[in-house]
Amino acid sequence: MTPINPILDRQRERGLFVLLAVLLGLFFIADILSGSVLLPAAEVLQALIHPSRAIETVKTIVLDFRLPKAITAVVAGTALSVSGLQMQTIFRNPLAGPYVLGISAGASLAVALFALGFAPLMTLGVTLSGSWPLAVVAWAGAFAVLLLVLFVSSRVNDNMTVLILGMLFSSAAGAVVSILQYFSSESMLKAFIVWTMGSLGSITTEQLTVVVPAIVAGILLALAKMKDLNAFLLGETYARSLGVPIFRSRLWIFLSASILAGTVTAFCGPIGFVGIAVPHLARVLFRTSDHRVLLPATLLLGANAMLLSDIIAQLPGLQATLPINSVTALLGIPIVIWMIIRNRKFATL
Amino acid sequence: MITSTPAPLLEADRLSIGYLPAGGDSGFIRKEISFTAERGELVALIGPNGSGKSTLLKTLTGFIPPLKGSVRWMGKPVGSYTPAELARLISYVSTENLRLPNMRVADLVAYGRFPYTGWLGRLREEDLQMVSTSIRKTGLSDFARREVITLSDGERQRALIARALAQNTPFILLDEPTAFLDVSAKYEIFQLLRQLARTEGKTILLSTHDLNIALREADKFWMLTPAGCTQGAPEDAVLQGWLSHLFTHPQIGFDKTGGDFYLKTEPAGTAQVKGQGDALIWTSRALTRLGFSVVTEENLPLPPLSITITGEEDPNHLRWLLHSGETPLTFSSLHALLSYLRQEMQKPG
Repeated sequence: MTPINPILDRQRERGLFVLLAVLLGLFFIADILSGSVLLPAAEVLQALIHPSRAIETVKTIVLDFRLPKAITAVVAGTALSVSGLQMQTIFRNPLAGPYVLGISAGASLAVALFALGFAPLMTLGVTLSGSWPLAVVAWAGAFAVLLLVLFVSSRVNDNMTVLILGMLFSSAAGAVVSILQYFSSESMLKAFIVWTMGSLGSITTEQLTVVVPAIVAGILLALAKMKDLNAFLLGETYARSLGVPIFRSRLWIFLSASILAGTVTAFCGPIGFVGIAVPHLARVLFRTSDHRVLLPATLLLGANAMLLSDIIAQLPGLQATLPINSVTALLGIPIVIWMIIRNRKFATL
Repeated sequence: MITSTPAPLLEADRLSIGYLPAGGDSGFIRKEISFTAERGELVALIGPNGSGKSTLLKTLTGFIPPLKGSVRWMGKPVGSYTPAELARLISYVSTENLRLPNMRVADLVAYGRFPYTGWLGRLREEDLQMVSTSIRKTGLSDFARREVITLSDGERQRALIARALAQNTPFILLDEPTAFLDVSAKYEIFQLLRQLARTEGKTILLSTHDLNIALREADKFWMLTPAGCTQGAPEDAVLQGWLSHLFTHPQIGFDKTGGDFYLKTEPAGTAQVKGQGDALIWTSRALTRLGFSVVTEENLPLPPLSITITGEEDPNHLRWLLHSGETPLTFSSLHALLSYLRQEMQKPG
């Protein structure tokens, strides 16, 4: 291997960040422009910049539907990717991610139990105050599964076992959810099935006031623990010998990952393969294992990936919007397969 | 044994180690062991598999608590140090074979500065200085920009030692640093460690199975024997016969003259060898392996087997003359001689 000039590395890094930021802007606008109703770009921009002067219907479509959806895509992509990166590093497993490890399943199970348990209460006159309870329940579900995975991975030092366990847990959670569906009313059932397909568009502006702050908090927590993530990359023993308070640090990172993956799952449904694929794209593009670069890179790439998936989901000419879950799976799975072939031995990151 | 200094840099006093499950006696791996280490010493921790070497290292570094007794670093119990303080006192090299893509040697060595940098891990001028000095001292200057996964096992072990060096601690602990290395790399690593102990005044503790190298290079042995832990110069271990404790198998013996281990074999009789120099030594070794007790004296009653070595001045002209029957047989290599002897020994009678 030829030695690489560190200054060139730095320039390349900076160039990639600028490129990703520009792409993010472009994808964001493209996402707002695309939808089942074809709107002239000028009118859409008008509604965004001078809402008072825009046509009423266009204003409604853009501000009440498309803008929240684009914002949701950005935060959901960011959140899932960053939590995927955290899990891959903490478990030192390149195939880890919120979906594969069953974190999303844990969150959805908790949400389902909550919804079912809450429905009878609602008839008694108790109402949900906002979306916070739903979010908190999802975080708890995600966190519980993370702790379970940690417990198992500390017992069996084998990456494959942890992954298989995650899949088993996902199936078990899915089974319980199916049983819950069996007992639920017809209207709830439809809502549930739509929810399991994943959707960026069902989030209301009111819910965004919960989702956005929660995910911003999760990201800030992740950024605060970037340095520790680097240490975890070498394994627990090294991290400890470098002075990282293992238990506390891992708890903070898990909290961050649970908030990120749990919030997205609660409000958008389980969206797979973003969390597992995006961190690998970041590694390949930035050629580094340093989380101080990888984490911002994953963040930007995740937002881009989700916006792109959403644009594909509503390509012009399509009558209806495709389920976002299918699009991310079809985009993400090839990347994961390519990564497995490239790594051959996927024993470490 | 006489200890000259009153408070050693590292002292274990009646230490019991192990993992206690839920109370009870079963978790003890070692009980009541005591030993010390001084500044600038290269200490080799010796013991058969399962004797608790790794557990002892983990206890010394504070990863697991002592079950009984005490571990004192610079006079203070290990438990009284915070993880951050320990990180500036002890650096650790684990036995794990790290496979980290997208990480350069300089990045890995920079991990050593982890305990000294802020939350973002930014390296200051003095940190960079320490990283490059460590790389130079371990002879890796040409490898600094190479990716860690492209290194050979020996080079990677050097890089890990450089990382420990960059941590700038008075103590370096290594868990079987020579385990996966080829013979020449084993010697190189030992030589590097001895040099660091001498020139940098580091106290270096390593566990190893490479007894013959450790016998030559270590300043001190800590030997985990059934009786506990014996410590002393490697030569003490030889002269006082501690090494025999390492082997439960009666067929393995230690040759005090050669400083090496051998397998005892069925006695095959006496062989007289005439010759000189290296040829005589190695011929005797080969015959010993077959079970012969070798004599070199001239004036013995004629033994059943007598070998004369000729042409010692030129390796190409070495010949072995075997006088066992009427006519002497000539062999051009030891292998040929040994094959013949083995065939003869297998003949009935």
